[in-house]
Amino acid sequence: MKKRTLLLTAAAVILAGAAVAGSVFFGALETSVVSKAVERPLGADEMKWLAERGAYVAVAADCYACHTAKDGAAWAGGLPFETPFGTLYATNISPDKEFGIGAWTRAEFHRSVRDGVGKGERHLYPAMPYASYREMSEEDVDAVYAYLMTREPMRVPNRENELSFPFNIRQSLTFWNLFNLRREGFATNAARSEAWNRGRYVVDALGHCGECHTPRNLLQGMESGAYLKGAVIEGVEAPDITKEGLGRMGFDPLTLARFMKSGLSAQGSMTHQMFEVVHFSTQYMSEGDLQAMAAYLFDLDALPATPVPPPAPAPVEVPAPVAAAGRGTYLNLCAGCHGADGQGIPHVAIPLSTNASLRLASPRNFVRAVLHGIPAQRFPGLERMEAMPAFTELLDDKALADLTNWMRARWGGRQPIVTDEEIAKFR
Amino acid sequence: MTTETKPLALTVNGRPVGPVDVPEGLMMQDFLHEYLNLTGSRMGCGQGICHACTVIVEGEGGALREMRTCITGAHWFAGRTVVTVEGHARHDAKGEIVLSPVQQAFIEHFAFQCGYCTPGFVTGATVLIDRLKRKPVARAELEQVVTEALDKHICRCTGYVRYHTAVRDLILATPGLVSG
Ligand code: FES
Ligand code: FES
Repeated sequence: MKKRTLLLTAAAVILAGAAVAGSVFFGALETSVVSKAVERPLGADEMKWLAERGAYVAVAADCYACHTAKDGAAWAGGLPFETPFGTLYATNISPDKEFGIGAWTRAEFHRSVRDGVGKGERHLYPAMPYASYREMSEEDVDAVYAYLMTREPMRVPNRENELSFPFNIRQSLTFWNLFNLRREGFATNAARSEAWNRGRYVVDALGHCGECHTPRNLLQGMESGAYLKGAVIEGVEAPDITKEGLGRMGFDPLTLARFMKSGLSAQGSMTHQMFEVVHFSTQYMSEGDLQAMAAYLFDLDALPATPVPPPAPAPVEVPAPVAAAGRGTYLNLCAGCHGADGQGIPHVAIPLSTNASLRLASPRNFVRAVLHGIPAQRFPGLERMEAMPAFTELLDDKALADLTNWMRARWGGRQPIVTDEEIAKFR
Repeated sequence: MTTETKPLALTVNGRPVGPVDVPEGLMMQDFLHEYLNLTGSRMGCGQGICHACTVIVEGEGGALREMRTCITGAHWFAGRTVVTVEGHARHDAKGEIVLSPVQQAFIEHFAFQCGYCTPGFVTGATVLIDRLKRKPVARAELEQVVTEALDKHICRCTGYVRYHTAVRDLILATPGLVSG
């Protein structure tokens, strides 16, 4: 008797569990932030003025950078994304009726951008930052839709994703969405200024900064408890951009706004993915939006009138042999371009005495730049920086550890605790 | 302001040099020009871009490496063996100058015009040939390999095609550099 009850209970629990899992799987628990209003198709006039606005919104949301492969057709997708579960390819969002989104309705577009569910109830992978775009306003999503419909249709088929089981089952994303999607869209914080709120909207919804700067949890969702506190992406650290992190790197709000515009500052030049972000997106943002972002990131209601740079970190003592070796290597291999005192050469090599990567807790970005180099880069306004050579063959682990320790201590105020073994890991 | 100096000893074009007191931050280019009167390696950009200033450094196992002297401190070369453009040609038994195969090939192909970039190209091509001696390249990849090796050298007179042909032909004519 007792045994039967137990068995029955167990069966009931299993069934209930299966029912819950099933209902999650089939999307019963999914919430949509898309209103019924978007089921009405947009009129031709609306589409016209929205498209003009949409050009700016699409730039601020940086759609192009991912939806255009290197040397590929504009908006036709194909850019690969390496994930722990396999490779994903960005899709064709040109208005081609067969391969792009030309046949998508306004409502289908809204659902895909803000709910992560595309035409025909096909779930999108969260490499598309719908977890961030979820907070976009209805009008901004309309604007992007209208703008994309004015682009040239590209007859480029989408590339099949290369994902392992079970990640190749799109419907399984219902589970991811359950844990990682906020229920609601953007909510204005009435206690804060308009600039702060706009800044949060640009940072969180359009700019989707957290997709890289917020560490990911086991499920690869953004870890809300460590919002914007920095994460490692493709071997590079997307640094902490909370106000503490930004201050430690040497930024004040006005300098940060200018950095997002120009890609260059005393703290260094934009590299890796941030170079592309400036290239495709932030350089075209309005002064107002850039300042709003800076205000929000520094948690200010209004920006100061003049830049007030945070104090430089005080240099740290380094054991004499480390200093001698580090300084020797610096003079021999670095000073030619970056100057004996780390002052750099305008338009050629960035200054190092104020460089942010030397001030970060982890030596990762600095060491990687030295080992693997940085290609020559063009910046807005005819500005450029020459290529940084790769020094992987010229410096052994010991020499690079000494150099790293000496430079971080001198200019970054960091203790000389980097070991040869740590350097070896970055090779 | 006082400039700190340090003794420096190295081998240049087969001759031992130093120890001589050299400022700590002095670039190799200045050391070659001002201390050794070897002015063949050219100062072009001074920023590590044009590669007119390169010299050969012998690495481990004798493998040759190209180094930019405008952005590398003289003291980096301490204890190393360096060949500048002045060190490529030899004198034969009769005291006549014998150019290196690379130099000869450049002359035969009319590769250079003003010649400002030539020391760098001589260095780059010599290092490439040394590399192929150790690890021959497949014929099908040869053009690509030559392009990649010379790519970083800038020639304002734009003699690129002739430099390229000269190096490729020399590689093809030298036994053991091309496989398959
Ligand atoms: S002078 Fe050295 S690379 Fe141009
Ligand atoms: S021959 Fe004049 S720069 Fe090359």
